[in-house]
Amino acid sequence: MQLKVNKTNLKAMLTTASCALLGSTANASTEESWQFDTAIMHYAEVDRVSATEAIIAGTKTFNNDEVLNLKVTIDALTGASPNGATAQPTPQTFTRPSGNGQYTVNAGDTPLDDTFHDTRVQLTGQWTQPLLKDYIVSVGGNFSKEYDYMSASLNGNVARDFNKKNTTLSAGMSFAYDVIEPEGGIPKPLSAMVVGDADDPNFEDDFNKTRIGSDESKSTIDLLFGVTQVINRQMIVQLNYSYSTVSGYMTDPFKIISSVNHNGEAQAYLYENRPDERTKHAFFGQTKYHFDSGILDASYRFMTDNWQIDSHTFDFRYLIPFTNGHFIEPHFRMYTQSAAEFYQPFIAQDEAKPNFVSADYRIGELDTYTVGLKYGMPMGDGNNLSFRLEYYHQTPKSNGIQAIGVLKEVELYEEVDAIIAQVTYSF
Amino acid sequence: MSNMDKATRVVNCLAREGGFTLSFFAMASLCEVLIDTDNEALAIEVGRIAANEAWRIEDKYSRYDSKSLCSEINNKAGQVIEIDKETFNLFEFANQCYDMSEGAFDITSGILRKAWPFDGSDNVPSKKSVQAALQFVGWDKVSYSANSFVMKKGMEIDFGGLGKEYAVDRAVLLISQKTNAPFLVNYGGDLAVYGTREYDAPWQVGIEHPSFDSSQSTLVTLRTGAVATSGDANRFLLKNNHRYSHILNVKTGWPVINPPNSITVAAPQCIQAGFLATLALIQGVNAENFLKEQNILHWSIR
Repeated sequence: MQLKVNKTNLKAMLTTASCALLGSTANASTEESWQFDTAIMHYAEVDRVSATEAIIAGTKTFNNDEVLNLKVTIDALTGASPNGATAQPTPQTFTRPSGNGQYTVNAGDTPLDDTFHDTRVQLTGQWTQPLLKDYIVSVGGNFSKEYDYMSASLNGNVARDFNKKNTTLSAGMSFAYDVIEPEGGIPKPLSAMVVGDADDPNFEDDFNKTRIGSDESKSTIDLLFGVTQVINRQMIVQLNYSYSTVSGYMTDPFKIISSVNHNGEAQAYLYENRPDERTKHAFFGQTKYHFDSGILDASYRFMTDNWQIDSHTFDFRYLIPFTNGHFIEPHFRMYTQSAAEFYQPFIAQDEAKPNFVSADYRIGELDTYTVGLKYGMPMGDGNNLSFRLEYYHQTPKSNGIQAIGVLKEVELYEEVDAIIAQVTYSF
Repeated sequence: MSNMDKATRVVNCLAREGGFTLSFFAMASLCEVLIDTDNEALAIEVGRIAANEAWRIEDKYSRYDSKSLCSEINNKAGQVIEIDKETFNLFEFANQCYDMSEGAFDITSGILRKAWPFDGSDNVPSKKSVQAALQFVGWDKVSYSANSFVMKKGMEIDFGGLGKEYAVDRAVLLISQKTNAPFLVNYGGDLAVYGTREYDAPWQVGIEHPSFDSSQSTLVTLRTGAVATSGDANRFLLKNNHRYSHILNVKTGWPVINPPNSITVAAPQCIQAGFLATLALIQGVNAENFLKEQNILHWSIR
């Protein structure tokens, strides 16, 4: 059989024929659309702080692989937080950080300051694009504001692919500037909290004598170097080193430390004081391994700083996909840190005051673990819904300082339980 | 397709150098999408997009599925039935293929299978039974419009020669709307690629023919466009040392003489490549010459 149609005809006719069937745009520009992630998270500590956070993040990918990320986060924080003082066998009265009024803590209870309620709004933007061959650059900024706190940062990153994209080296830098302006001003370090009759006409003057200004600031520079290596079809490994240096005000103006007599009884509460320089080194390793039955994501972080805090974090997640597109992901995280060199749970009244001191359990010796589960499901049209529920347990520990007198009878290192619940919807 | 097959409709995701391979089973073939990305979530999403579309096309146009639209069309032969836009477009394409091939490519020719079982046996049919079957073959005997279709009672439509290739092109279309990452869609040897890979590297695909040993598989290097393969595999009749290929001349109802065992053709779109491969095969001994004259890139195994 011989066809009469000539060759140009056949090809041209075919193109026309399949155009009608498939449209002519198969190789034309793709649609540039936004992808959104929304999440609501609730964090609640038993009898303490609870926080609700709402996140809306949008990602837009442009035709030449440029990516714009925008994110808005709103946090609402309420509840009580330890003020740093030790529990006592007798009730204790504290002046609020604002100087407006006082609160009393029952005998035997860890003193909690219940004035915490704040709303934070955070805006984040990031622009990522390929540059030259094998390079990807990214720049971004972040701004967050709450009642007494402002934070702004800028960052830049560059990544280069080698070895057919099996190896990626990246370097990044960021600069952040934070300002704190607590209601009631900045307390004078190591001065004693004024705890008298708040209705006394001299109270305000006395309170103001413990104040040294209205605001303080700090600046942070972070450097990050990383390598990502594809090992084989199943495995990818990432190693990062980061260096961070902070200078400025790192004291928590809301935290105090109990000054006790030889019998452990609180005689005064001193405002804490922390060094104004801090340098951190962090080493991070992560691997993802694709098993037939799921994906293991395991990571380890070691952080050490010149405050003598060393910490280790182990994190394991195992994503188990189901054939219907649903997945379940168990999560386990373990964290342990040593205390800062200036951490102590209380000060002995008759000893010389140290230059720097804090009784904030968050920079004391501390172990925490988290266990949780995430469940996700596709909702059609590429939309996804997922739920996360986690239990978090904190165990502050003694750094070796012996309790004295009545402090032996109270709990100096109260454990904390918290629940984290999150719903995420991506569309 | 049986319900058991539908129960195993899953998409597997496997990491590989530079990206991921998504695989699933559809239209009696292993279907794969290879995408160059380190975004696993995107890869999984892309696999699901391709698979859902392939399964949708299978459910709609498979003649083996008694619930498919194809079966409905065949069961209602003799009646005027309503058709949708997609089916109309497929008929339009088939119509143009019929015209371009001067009747050699005909989606109503499947009924000749009843005369030719092609089971490797020596059951060569009688001329009479072939003539009988031919009464029910002929795209010129159907009539259709943008929303209706009618053919003679006893006739059958078979999208088998287009369906897999169509699914490949649809996958390319849908995935390219989702991402700019380069990818390859390979449904049992009918394949298409999209985008520019790192270093402008080509995709290399071995196209194996079911009955052939691996030494005869065709290695295809592809940067753009699509390829499709047609062949007679192990479907033939053997009588008096004469191998009757399963490629039938639709006009005579008898096998084409001495076609290549397999022919792989390149074209901008998979459905074009599929048509050209089938059309070449029908040229029998002239298959390669036909493609050369048309200046069409091809690989042939004889």
